[in-house]
Amino acid sequence: MQPLRLERWVRLIYETQDEESPCSELFDLVAEYVDREMRGEAVAESMPHVKHTLDVCRDQCRACFEEYEVLRSLARLEADGRAPSVDDLRQSL
Amino acid sequence: MMITRTNAGWLRALESTGEEQAAAIVDLRAYLLRAALFSLHRSRAHQAHLTPAAIEQLAEDCAQDALLAILKQLHEFRGDSRFTTWAYKFAINIAMVAARRESWKHVSLDQLLDNSNVPEWPIRDERTAIDPDQLALQADAWAVMRDLIEHDLTDRQRQVVKAIVFDEIPMDEVVRHLDSNRNAIYKNLHDARSKLKTRLEARGFNVQEILDLFGKGT
Repeated sequence: MQPLRLERWVRLIYETQDEESPCSELFDLVAEYVDREMRGEAVAESMPHVKHTLDVCRDQCRACFEEYEVLRSLARLEADGRAPSVDDLRQSL
Repeated sequence: MMITRTNAGWLRALESTGEEQAAAIVDLRAYLLRAALFSLHRSRAHQAHLTPAAIEQLAEDCAQDALLAILKQLHEFRGDSRFTTWAYKFAINIAMVAARRESWKHVSLDQLLDNSNVPEWPIRDERTAIDPDQLALQADAWAVMRDLIEHDLTDRQRQVVKAIVFDEIPMDEVVRHLDSNRNAIYKNLHDARSKLKTRLEARGFNVQEILDLFGKGT
C-alpha cells in the first residue's frame, strides 16, 4: 500500500456519510454526469451525490471510477472530433 | 465513419423490426466495439500476456455482450444523456471487468482472501519516512486502527477491507470470488468505514491529527 493511498483511505473514513449511493446508482447516472461535464456544467454542484460516490470510489475500490475515467476520455475525444476509429485502435494494440 | 442518429432515432430504429433494426444494430455494435477496444487499450497493462489478436477477440466478445445488455435494457434509457454515451458505459464496464479478470486470473485469491490478518504496517515503501518521531507517532496511530479493524469489524468487513484496501485486489475479483455483487461489497466497505470513524472519534482521535500523521513525512 502506498502512503498516498493510505492517507486517502484514512480521509475517507472521516468523510463517511450515513447514506452513500451504491455502485448501481452510479452506473445509472454516469452517462448523464459525463455528458453534463462535456457541456461545461459544474457537475460537482449539480450532481453532488455522484461526485461524492466517484471520490469515494477513486480512493477505495476504484472500479466504477476507472470506468468513469474511460467514458469521460472517450466522450472528450468525441466532443473534440478526435475519437479513434476501430481500425486505429486495432493497429495500436 | 460512424453513423450518427438522434436519441429518438436510435430508439426508433432499435425498437423497429426488419432491415431498419438490423442496420441500427450493426451501427451500434461498431460504437460498442470502439468503446471496448478503447477500454482494453487504456488498460493494456492488465493484459500484457495477451496477443493483439486475443485482445481484439476479447473486445469483440465484450461488444457483443454489451449489445445484448443494451437491447435488454433499452426501455431504461431515459434520454438524460446522449444515447451513445449511455451505450458506451455498458461496453466499458464489461471490457474493464474482463481486463481485470485477465490480469488476476493467474492469482490464487483463496489464499489472499482467506488470510484476513491486518498487516503490521500497511505502507510498503518506507524509504521516504525520515523523521523517527513522526514514524513513531504513525506507528501508534496505526496500532489503534489495526486493533479496531481486527476487533471491531465483522469477519466479512475485515476480509473485504483487507482485500480491497490493503491488498488492492480489484473489486470485481472480490465480487466474483465471494459470489457477491458490487453493491453488497460496497456496503461492507461503507459499514466498515462508518464503524471505524465512530470508534476512532470515541478514542479521541480527530481527522486532522490522523491526516497530519499519515499525510506528512511518509
